[in-house]
Amino acid sequence: MIRILKAMKNKFVEFLKISDQVARSNAVQTIEYEVEELENIFGVLVLGSYVGMPSPPMQISLDLMPFMEKELILMMEKVDTATQPLSQLFSAFDIG
Amino acid sequence: MNRAMNLFFMGKGGVGKSTAAALFSTFLAQQGYRVLVVSLDPAHNQSDIFERPLSDDASEISPNLRAMEVDQEAWIRTYLKDVHHQIDRTYSYLTSFNLEKYFGVIKHSPGLEEYALILAFEHIQKQYAQWDYLIFDMPPTALSLKFFALPSLSLVWVEHLLALRQEIIQKRELITTITLLNKEFQRDKVLNKIEAQRVQYRKLKETFENPEKTRVYLVLNPDKLSHAESLRILNSLKEINIPLYRTVYNKKPVNVACAQIDPVFANIPMLNFPLSDTPLIGMDALQHYLQANQEEMENQLKVC
Repeated sequence: MIRILKAMKNKFVEFLKISDQVARSNAVQTIEYEVEELENIFGVLVLGSYVGMPSPPMQISLDLMPFMEKELILMMEKVDTATQPLSQLFSAFDIG
Repeated sequence: MNRAMNLFFMGKGGVGKSTAAALFSTFLAQQGYRVLVVSLDPAHNQSDIFERPLSDDASEISPNLRAMEVDQEAWIRTYLKDVHHQIDRTYSYLTSFNLEKYFGVIKHSPGLEEYALILAFEHIQKQYAQWDYLIFDMPPTALSLKFFALPSLSLVWVEHLLALRQEIIQKRELITTITLLNKEFQRDKVLNKIEAQRVQYRKLKETFENPEKTRVYLVLNPDKLSHAESLRILNSLKEINIPLYRTVYNKKPVNVACAQIDPVFANIPMLNFPLSDTPLIGMDALQHYLQANQEEMENQLKVC
């Protein structure tokens, strides 16, 4: 009987933990999307000259470039989805 | 502690910036000061004036005087090689490999010329910090002005990028706190680099704007074109908050009064370098000129 109660308690704690994780993950989903957009803007600002955008003085871009692999890859990925802004927005707000 | 005073000689092409810089250096060295004259002009003239080959390593001209000519191309090459090396170390192989083709053309990008001069300037300032005078023979007006404006303009970008990066980091930290309950954050390398850039450009800006560290001499001749360009230089320097220390009237005919030449420069103290009968080439010619005009030159230069 005690074993059953213990097992039920463990399952309940596990359920609470997962619920907590899901709730936390849902809470930051929009912020994560916002951060990704900001990182993309930062990437375009700094490395814009590689895709024909106005950019800061060349030495600023070059000095930052060695630390911006993530932004560079993100920029390239964003190019693929740039033609579907609405679907991206719906996905960010979990609509549909 | 950096005690060396930076003297910059600017002006329209052909007015005698290099000769004025060489005369000034020779005079100050004769007075017992330790002087380094540096040509930042890609069309180097100092080796012709001192009649000896010069390079990126300073050569001794006389006991207190050394001269060097900055190899702009070499500074650009070294800088790009350094960036390339850092990318190779930090990027995954494929990304680094894909960027390879860009580096061939980056060296021709606008803006790198003046940055190469800035890097050379910073290096010289550090290496000769304990000397008395660092005299810079500047390139043509456009490049000189870009050189002086680079710290101010770069700071505008750096401040903006810094604010954006801080916003990203703040949001990232929020996500980490909510999802992982983690309050220990790694320092962002991009933020570190932007902050280092801000320190670098602020220091340069402060150096250029401080009359205790930097003095700009504007060399001009008594002719209309030289005055017109000098006026533009004066206005451009004002815009970036760099004061003009002296005008140097080079090749001034003896019977022409300077005040009549151009009233615009009347408020700026003026040095007169009288027209020389012989070409000022070689150490002997420079010393002879300084001797022939000794009293006038001493009166003018000892206050500088």
